[in-house]
Amino acid sequence: MVDVAILVSVGRHPASGQARRAPSDARALELAFGLPPGRRDALHAGDPTNPALRDYLGMGLERLTVLAMAEGRDPTDALAARLRGLSPGIILTGNQAEGGEDSGMLPYVVAQALGLAIVPDVVAIALDAEGRTAEVVQALARGQRRALRVELPFVATVHPAAPAARPSAFGPARRGRIEVVPVDAPPDAFLTACAARPWRDRPKRLSVGAAGGGTGGALERLRAATEAKAGQGRVLVEPSPDEAARAIWDYLQEQGMQPR
Amino acid sequence: MTARRRDPRAERTARIVQTEPRRRLVLDPDAIAASSGGRPRRDPRARRADATLQTAPRLRLDWTGKGTGAAVSMSAPGRGQRAAPAAPPLRVIENPACLIFAALDRPDGALSAHDRQLLAAARLLADAVDGAVVAVAPDGADDWGALGADRVIPLPAAWAAEYAPERRAAALVAAIARWSPLHVLFPESPEGGDLARRVAAACGERLFAGVESLSASRVARRAGGGATELSCAPSRFLSIAADAVAPLGAVRHEARRLDPPETSPDAPKLREARRLPVDPDGVGLGEADFILSAGNGVTDWVVFADLGRALGATRAGSRVVCDAGHLPRDRQVGASGTVVSARCYLAFGIAGAPQHLQGVGGVERVVAVNTDLHAAMIKRADLAIIADAQAVMPALLRLAGEGGHG
Ligand SMILES: Cc1cc2nc3c(=O)[nH]c(=O)nc-3n(C[C@H](O)[C@H](O)[C@H](O)COP(=O)(O)OP(=O)(O)OC[C@H]3O[C@@H](n4cnc5c(N)ncnc54)[C@H](O)[C@@H]3O)c2cc1C
Repeated sequence: MVDVAILVSVGRHPASGQARRAPSDARALELAFGLPPGRRDALHAGDPTNPALRDYLGMGLERLTVLAMAEGRDPTDALAARLRGLSPGIILTGNQAEGGEDSGMLPYVVAQALGLAIVPDVVAIALDAEGRTAEVVQALARGQRRALRVELPFVATVHPAAPAARPSAFGPARRGRIEVVPVDAPPDAFLTACAARPWRDRPKRLSVGAAGGGTGGALERLRAATEAKAGQGRVLVEPSPDEAARAIWDYLQEQGMQPR
Repeated sequence: MTARRRDPRAERTARIVQTEPRRRLVLDPDAIAASSGGRPRRDPRARRADATLQTAPRLRLDWTGKGTGAAVSMSAPGRGQRAAPAAPPLRVIENPACLIFAALDRPDGALSAHDRQLLAAARLLADAVDGAVVAVAPDGADDWGALGADRVIPLPAAWAAEYAPERRAAALVAAIARWSPLHVLFPESPEGGDLARRVAAACGERLFAGVESLSASRVARRAGGGATELSCAPSRFLSIAADAVAPLGAVRHEARRLDPPETSPDAPKLREARRLPVDPDGVGLGEADFILSAGNGVTDWVVFADLGRALGATRAGSRVVCDAGHLPRDRQVGASGTVVSARCYLAFGIAGAPQHLQGVGGVERVVAVNTDLHAAMIKRADLAIIADAQAVMPALLRLAGEGGHG
C-alpha cells in the first residue's frame, strides 16, 4: 500500500500550440498506475475549465483535484499546503512543464517546503516489501541508468525516457470528476518582473574560430566546414589477426572504452 | 635574411645636404647606410616556404601569416622565428566589489565545454560590476587561472565521481551564506540543473533557468513550451544553457584558493547510488558512447553481433548494410541516417564515403579496419588496420572474451 500524489500541468503542442496533457506529467501518472495499490491523488493548480485536463482522466483516473487560481499566480504554497494534508508516500511529477514558466523549480520548492528528499529524472520505481524504501532508477545522459535507494516519503520528477503514457480514452475522460478547490494564491512577482515576447531563433553560435575560441578566425572556420577531420593516423599494414586484435583492444582500453 | 631592396631615389634624397642655391650631395656612403629606407625586398621562395603548413599528402599553404613557429624555422633556416603567442598578463582583482559564483559540473572529474562557457558567463557579469569570479567545484588538477577564475572554492575531489547532490547543495548553500555572492551561475545540464534547483529552493529564491542569451543587463530564456522568450535583469540564481555563451579566449587570473565552508555531515537521503548495466543496442544511436559499425566489407554477421555484445558497443552500419537489411534502418550512420557523437567509433569494412564521414564528424576517436589502404575511412582513423575484417573480428572477440589476457 502506498499513497501517491501526482502533480499534473497543462502542456502545449509544439507545432499547433494546442493545449494538451504535458508528456512528462502523463508519464508520471503512468508510473503511478504501475505502483502497488493505494490512494492516487492527482493535483493541478490553475484553470479548472481547461479541456486538456480531461486527457489525464481519460488515462483511468477517477478524480482530479484542481486548485483553482487565476493565471500568473504562484501555485507553490497552495500545492505544498494541500500535499501536507494528503501526506502521500510518493509525490510524482514531470521533470519540466511545457507551456508555463517551465523552470522545473516547482518539485524542488515543494520538496523543500515539505522537507522531503527529491530524486530527479526517474524512469522506474520499485518498492520494497514493507513499503518503507524504494529503489529508484534515474536516466542519465547517453542512455545510461543509475539506481539508488531512497526512503519514503519522497518527491520524484519523471524523465521523458520513462515508459510511454497510455493513450487517453474518451469514456473515462467524460466520466472522470474534476474537483474544484478555490484557493487564494499570491501573484507571482518574479514572473511579472519578466518581459515576455514570442521566441525567435537565434543564429547558432559557431564553436570554431569564434572570438575567444580558436586562433585562426575565418580560415579556421572554412577549414572546419570543408575538410573531413583527419585522425592521428597510426596505421598497421597487414598485421596478423591476433596482432590487429591486440592493437585494437589496447587502444580501446587506452580510451577507457574497455575495462582494464 | 631580409635583404633590403635598394631604393636609389630615397638614397639620393638622403644624401642631399643642401638644395639652395644649388643641390649638393654627401658622397660618403657610410653616412647614409643607416637611413636607406624603402620596403624590405620580397623573397617569394621564403614566403612560400613560410606559408607551407604541410607537403604530404598534399600541399597546403596558409597565407594569413599565422603559420606555426616550428614549421617556419624548419623550412626557412636563418629567418627569425615567430614569437610564440605572448602569455596574457595576470589580472589580479584584489578588492572585488562583489563575487560571482560559478558552480561547475566537472562530470567524471574533467571540466566540460559547458563548464568553460559558464566561467565565461560569470566573467561577463563580473566585469560589468568589478566583481570577481569564484569557481566552486570538486577539486582537480585544472589550471583555474587560465580558465578565468579569480577565486576557487574547492570541494572534495571525490564528489566529482560519486553522486552526491545533497552534499554539494549543502556546501554551496553554506558558501552562499558566508560570502553572499551577487549571482550564482549553474550549467543547465542534468546534474548542474538539479544542483541549481536544489540550491535555489534551499535559499528560498527563484532560478532563472536555462539562459539562452546573456548580457550584463539582460538575460533571456525560453518558456511557454518554447514559444515565449522571458527576459529580465540578471536574477541572483541563473542556470546557463549549453552553447549560449562563447568560452573565454586567452586570459590569466589569479585563482586564489578560499577555504571551503564547513558543512554539517547530514546523512544523505539518496543512498547506494550505482550505475546500471544497459543494453547497448537499446541506446539511441545519437547518444551512444561507443559504436561498432559495419560496412560492405563485413560478411560474417553472427560474429559481428557477438562482438558488439562482448565489447558492450552499440551496433551500427553504413547505408549499404542497412539497405541490404543486415541492420535496421535506425542503425544507419551518415548524412541520410544518424549523425553520431560517440567517443569511440570502431569501423569494420567501411570505405568512408563523404555521406558516411559526415555522420561521424563529431566522433572523438575512430578505429578502422579495412583491406584497402587508400580508403577514406583509413585517413580519418586514429588507429587504422589494413586487414580482413572477417579475420580480425573473431580474434578481437576471443580477446574480449578472455578479458584481454590472451
Ligand atoms: C544521397 C545519398 C545519401 C547517402 N547517405 C548515406 C548515409 O547516410 N550513410 C552511409 O553510410 N552512406 C550513405 N550513402 C552511401 C555512400 O555514398 C556509400 O555508398 C556508402 O557509405 C558505402 O558504404 P560502405 O563503405 O559500407 O561500402 P563500400 O563502399 O562497398 O565499401 C566497402 C569497404 O570495405 C572494404 N572491404 C571489403 N572487403 C573487406 C574485408 N574482407 N575486410 C575489410 N574491409 C573490406 C573495402 O575495401 C571498402 O573500402 C549515401 C549516398 C547518397 C547518394
